[in-house]
Parts: sequence; structure tokens; C-alpha cells
Amino acid sequence: MHMLEYFEAEKLLRIYGLSPIRSKYVSSAQEAASFSDGDEIVLKVLSDKAVHKSKAGLVIAGLKGEDEITRGYEELARKGKGFAPFRIIAQDMAKKGTEIIIGGKIDGQFGSMIMVGLGGIYVEAFKDVSLRVCPITEYDAMQMLDDLRSRDIITGGGEYKNMIIDLLMKVSRMFGEAGLKELDLNPVIVRKGGYDIVDIRMVK
Amino acid sequence: MIKRRFNLKPILKPRSVAIIGASRDPEKVGHVILQNYLDSGYSGKLYPVNKNAEDVSGLKAYKSVLDIKAQIDLAVVAVPAEAVPTVLEECGKAHVKGAVVVSGGFAEIGRDDLQERIVRIADKYGIAMIGPNCLGVMDPRSRIDTLFLPTYKLSRPKIGGVSFVSQSGAVGSTVLDLISNEGFGLSKFISYGNAAQIDETDILHYLMDDDETKVIIMYIEGIKRGKEFIELAKRLTRKKPVIVLKGGVTSEGSIAAHSHTAAMAGSAEAYDAVFRQFGFVVARDLSELMWFAKAFDTENLPEGDRIAVITNGGGAGVLVTDKISMYGLRLAEFSEAAEKEIKGTFSKLVAAKNPLDLVGDAGEKRYSQAMSIIQNEKNVDMIIAIVLFQTPGADSKVAAAMIHYKTIIEKPMIVISIGADYTEVHKKMMESSGLPVYDSPAAAVASLRELLKYAKYRKHADNAGISGKG
Repeated sequence: MHMLEYFEAEKLLRIYGLSPIRSKYVSSAQEAASFSDGDEIVLKVLSDKAVHKSKAGLVIAGLKGEDEITRGYEELARKGKGFAPFRIIAQDMAKKGTEIIIGGKIDGQFGSMIMVGLGGIYVEAFKDVSLRVCPITEYDAMQMLDDLRSRDIITGGGEYKNMIIDLLMKVSRMFGEAGLKELDLNPVIVRKGGYDIVDIRMVK
Repeated sequence: MIKRRFNLKPILKPRSVAIIGASRDPEKVGHVILQNYLDSGYSGKLYPVNKNAEDVSGLKAYKSVLDIKAQIDLAVVAVPAEAVPTVLEECGKAHVKGAVVVSGGFAEIGRDDLQERIVRIADKYGIAMIGPNCLGVMDPRSRIDTLFLPTYKLSRPKIGGVSFVSQSGAVGSTVLDLISNEGFGLSKFISYGNAAQIDETDILHYLMDDDETKVIIMYIEGIKRGKEFIELAKRLTRKKPVIVLKGGVTSEGSIAAHSHTAAMAGSAEAYDAVFRQFGFVVARDLSELMWFAKAFDTENLPEGDRIAVITNGGGAGVLVTDKISMYGLRLAEFSEAAEKEIKGTFSKLVAAKNPLDLVGDAGEKRYSQAMSIIQNEKNVDMIIAIVLFQTPGADSKVAAAMIHYKTIIEKPMIVISIGADYTEVHKKMMESSGLPVYDSPAAAVASLRELLKYAKYRKHADNAGISGKG
């Protein structure tokens, strides 16, 4: 069992028709600034040792302009040493939306299972998640959402239900076929007309 | 792929039974089992086996099954755990087809070694074995009753279409006692204890093709073979409803389950997900298990979620309306034709709206008039008739009218009657005629909701052609 490297995981998502947010490893403030190209970006420390990145202060969002990006980069370069080996990744800022979690696990009794629920800070608070055995059908995906107390929040009152159903079916297929043991897409930020997969954790 | 299959017929429909450990001491399990066979009027051959007695309860006793020079279909084994391997060896040599081992003292107390030994023996001789550490089986049609609980303590249900599968013996006997008090009857009861050889998937496999079983209810704490269970479930729940209550849903519960029947309780969420995904009806407690069982036993599946409510109490109608909305169902909107008919029939006495309030002094006539209008109403998928028997007009004639309409209405139709002795009498009257009666709006509406959910699953599964071939 090992954790997949970020871009290895990203590549797998793309194979299954899922598009993660634009990201790049950066090894200097200048590289980060050139990735930004004038837009707001996020910088993160990636390390196998850092599971809760935000809590450990390893994520800085909303950086814009050379000065801000340089300050952010230097701060993370310093903090990252506590989690060595580490790398710094630059990402586009996700557009506003609702944070959901899509995950997968191997159940000792039933095998591969896929999960969906309210994401971000609400995951722990409400534990409002729903599971199914892989592979799921469209009907299963629909039922998964219907099972949730937060279904109206997650689907924007039904507006992006079909998009999430499509996401779930793709993830279910990937999880089973790629032989993954654990998967966290948390958060996936969903909104009308699109989504951003912001964080990926895959164990194979 | 489901590779194995056990034939439970010798256990449930045996032509001859040996009771091993049949004691002369009325306090002993083996004695009670034999006595129950005698009491229930089992018509096959009965052979008590007892090393130390010439006869038990007036029947000639045998020292060993090997001394019985006749074919034995079923051996009920009630001897101390240490003696079970020898007894099973003898059963094997005597070509016994099935065994129910009620004895405890195996994996549930850490004696996995002893349990493995008896499985090896059963497998070697091709004996289908239920248990150990179980209550055993009941089949009122064949008058099979291996329960070691005397009939004066535990009432036996009447014959019917509900089969009940229970991992736990204690929950099993409690539910049996409850069933005997309900309107519906029993097809099979199988308490399978440690599931050393035959497990829940094997049992469900048998019941799936059992024509005497219309509805299955089950209490489980864990499943032994998850993937085979799912493969079977895909076919099973398309054929008949299975209502499941799983013990050990919280982490504390799971620990208790582990020490109870030595079953591995998997994660509660995964179990719940599997049940929902593959069309089980999930009960959260014993009450729901009973509510849902009686609805599924008598009712057809609904076409939609629109409910008509008729009542002789305005407040009760409101309470039911609340539950209908809380449980995601809908009050039917009567068609113009029905409204017109209601106005024509009742003039100004009854408002033409749903719930249809027949007013506090409604008797048989008003109930019959209302039912005759609603029975053919196209906007109605399910019917709830509230009959509060405390009121002046509500009497046995109303109950009889409800029974009459039940026999001609194909849509799901249930009654809510809340009250004490007088109500109870009428409840029994209606239920024994196949009309389910509930004593709370929650129980009634939750049961209809489960019927609808299951109906939707069946429709979806039939359309999608979900196959169990995989």
C-alpha cells in the first residue's frame, strides 16, 4: 500500500474523464508567480506526513501579485521543513460553490465502496454521507444523493444533481478498475455548470 | 458466483426425526424438544436417542442413531458440546441428511477448534447442519419445532407466508411470541446461531425458491460472505420482499455483537448501504420489523405515493396528514368526479376533501359509502381508514364493512385504530381477515412508505434487468 504521487493521481482522474483543477509543482517564488500569470492562486505543502494540511497551516489561498506570492512561498518553504520530504504545489483558485466529499474504501465484507457527502468542515460535524458498493448504476448514484439529509445543499436544490451523478459514476468506475484501496476527493467544489477537484488523496 | 448450496428440505420437511439427548428430565432441553414434537402433532417418525434410558415420554429410546435401523432425515442434537463431534460422526454413518445443533459451547465462548471439528464432520458426510448455539427451526406446515422453549411460555404463530430468519435465539423467540399475537402467520422460522456451516446466505437461497414463503424477515448481527450475499440479494429481492433488522449499528453495539454470536459485525454504514442498494426493506427496531412484516404480508405494491385518508376523528386525520408529509408521501387530491360524488352522497355533512372526515358519529353506512367512492378513485394509490372505536357509531359493523372492502380493493389499504380492549377485539377481527391494523399514525404511514420504496426498487430492477448471474 502506498500513496499515489499527486500528478500520478491527477493523471488517473483524467483517464476517467474527471478534470482536476490546474496545478503545478513549484520550486521557487518566481515559478509560482509565473504559474499565477496575474491571477489569484493557492499554494500548498504536499507531504505524506501532512494529512490535515489546512489545520497545520500548510495551505495559503488567495495569493495575488509577486509580493504576496513570494511571501506565501517563503512561509510554506519554512513550514514544510517540519514535514520533509515535501513539495510545494501551486493551484488555481477554485470558484465559489458547495464543498462535497467523494471517497472510496475497501470494506472487509463487501469490497469496494464509494461514498458521497457534504464536504469541507461539515464532514465531521454532520457525518452526512452515503455509501454504495462499486460499481454503481445511475440509479444508485441518484439514490445516494437522495439518502443525504443535505441533498438540497449538495445539489443546489437539484440544479447540479446530474453533474454529481456523472461524477460519482466515473469515480466508482475508476476506484474499482484502478485497484485503489483508499480515495479522498475532498473537497470537490460543485456549482452550477462545473466543479473543481481541489484535493486528491489516493492509496493503491 | 454462488458455488455452494445446501438443501434445507430434510431439516424443514423431514419424514423422520431423531432427537439426540432426549431426556426423561422435564428440565432438560432434550426433553422439551421431544415434548414439543409430541404436542405439535408431528406426523413423521420420531426417535428419541438417550444413552441411559429405555424409553422417553412413552417412546422407545435408542442408545445411538446407529441403532435406529431406518432412514433419518433430521437429527436434533441437544447434548453437551464435547459430545457433539461423536454424535455427528454417528449421524454421518447412519446417513442422516440434516442436523440442527442446539448445543452451545463453541465459537461463542472461544471454542473455535470444537466448532471447526463439527463442520469438518458435517462436510465429510454431507450433512446440512444448522447451528451450533441456536434455537433451531420451526415449520408449522410440517409441524417441525426444534425449539427448546415450552409452548406454555412461548406461543406459536399460526401458519402463514412470513419466514423469519434470526441469528440470535433470544431475539428469535421474542419475535415469534410477537408474531403469534399478530394477524399474520409463519412459514418458517430458522434460528441459525453460530452459522458454522449453513449461514444466512444459504438460508435465504433456500427461502428464495420456497413457494410457501411470501415475505422474509430477518434479524442479523453480521454477514459471513458479503459478496455472495450481494449476488444472491440481486435475485432474491426482485422475487420477494426481505425486511432486515441489523443489530450492532453503533460501535458499542458492535462489540456486544462480537461477544454474542461470534459473528464479525462489519461497519454499520456499509451494511446499511448494501441493504438499500440491493432492495432490502430496512427496519430499525423490532416494532418496525413487525409493522412492515404485516404490511408486506397482505398488501399489493402501490403504483404511486398518493394516499386517501378517511376518518371518524378530525384530529386523528391531522396527525396522519403530518406523518404523510414527514415521510415524503402525498395526500391524494380527489378528482372532480369523486368530489361531486362525495357532495352528492353526504350533502353538507362531510367536506369533499382529503382527509375525508366522516364526523364523530359515523357508522357502518357512512364508512361503506366513503369506501365505495374511494375504491375506484384514480387519484388514489393507497388508502388509510382511521376507525376510532370509542365513538358512538363505530362498532363491529364498521369493522365488517372494512373487511368487505379489503377483499375487493387491490390498492394497499390499512386501518388505524387506537385504543384499549374494545378496539383490540376489532383489531383482531380485521387482522385475522387480512386487513392490517396499526395503533399509531407513524406505524401506518412508515409501513406504506416502505411498500412504496420497495415498489420503486422492483420497478427499477425489472426495467434495468439487474441480473444475479455475475
